[in-house]
Amino acid sequence: MEERELDLAGRLMADMDPRLLEFLQTKVNSFVKWDLVFFFHDNPHTTDTADNIARYAGRSVGAIRTGLAELAQEGVLEENQLGDMTVYSLASDRQIRELLDRFVQASDDRQFRVKAIYHIIRGTRR
Amino acid sequence: MERVKTGIPGLDEMLEGGLLPQTANLVEGAPGTGKTTLGMQFICHGIVACGEPGLILTFEEFPQQYYRDAASFGWDFRQMEREGKLRVVMSSPEVTKADLEQVGGRIERLVREIGAKRILVDSLSHFERISEEPARLRGIVYGFINSLKREGLTAVLTRESVALLGEAEGTDDAIAFLVDSYVLLRYVEIESAIHKALLVLKMRGSNHDKGIRQFEVTSRGIEVRAPFEGREGIMSGNPRRMLDSFVQAFVRR
Repeated sequence: MEERELDLAGRLMADMDPRLLEFLQTKVNSFVKWDLVFFFHDNPHTTDTADNIARYAGRSVGAIRTGLAELAQEGVLEENQLGDMTVYSLASDRQIRELLDRFVQASDDRQFRVKAIYHIIRGTRR
Repeated sequence: MERVKTGIPGLDEMLEGGLLPQTANLVEGAPGTGKTTLGMQFICHGIVACGEPGLILTFEEFPQQYYRDAASFGWDFRQMEREGKLRVVMSSPEVTKADLEQVGGRIERLVREIGAKRILVDSLSHFERISEEPARLRGIVYGFINSLKREGLTAVLTRESVALLGEAEGTDDAIAFLVDSYVLLRYVEIESAIHKALLVLKMRGSNHDKGIRQFEVTSRGIEVRAPFEGREGIMSGNPRRMLDSFVQAFVRR
């Protein structure tokens, strides 16, 4: 069973752009982070607190806070102190922004989305 | 005197040529009256006709909503963003306030990056989330307005009015004292049909048209038309013919 699943995963990922695959495996490895990278792609100038971003995303603050912190750790987002608030914004790094653009564009394709979702589900079950 | 044209037919004439540069201009109205459209038109006109890049600061609507709404009037905000002439920023009032208070904050950098001259803040009502205490709120908005002026921006600030028809009850007029001009948008019921009225209530440092004008949101944006003729009590939302009032006051005694 495990072997068959690994084989399927391998086939699903085989034709994926290696950079996007790595982005998916190391950075967007949960549905909350998926929501967050899309949110920041669509709102590249937003700087806000976890509470407010949770409200915009319609998710619970707890889940969002963890996702934001991990994305900041991975360099996708920037975490800063603004007075007594911790705020998050999209990283200004050009390579990250280009990669994010490519990821979002690729997600327009249903096949890519199916593969990506399969990967995230597998990742969350581990 | 130099003017910042809104590009809204009829409104610039009412404002004696346009808004004054580096001023804060309040546009208040009930939902659907056209506050955001007026603000977007002001930003679009700056970019397209005056070579003045602009910023839209939104506290509730997503940028996509502005792209969509603008597209319905033929204004390509996405393209303007790609060309570095526009930035649509969604944030919260508390973060915006703190960001503008610090030197070299994100908004300050965006203004400098695109050379923004105009800003639409949609809407000022959201500052009430920071404080409902009138004196503190006034202080916060005062600081916010000054920071926009510091950046050399001419601002259109929208504010929501709860009442659909007539005067809004409990409106905190402290904010009205802080702004340089104050435009009211109102629904008016005339013979079982809803019309829209626009009034320039105040314009600091300039004369302005005191008339109450009809306006319409067309496929090209807002167009301010002729004043309401032969009626009074327009801003009550339920105007009367002046002749009826005359009859009521003098004839039916």
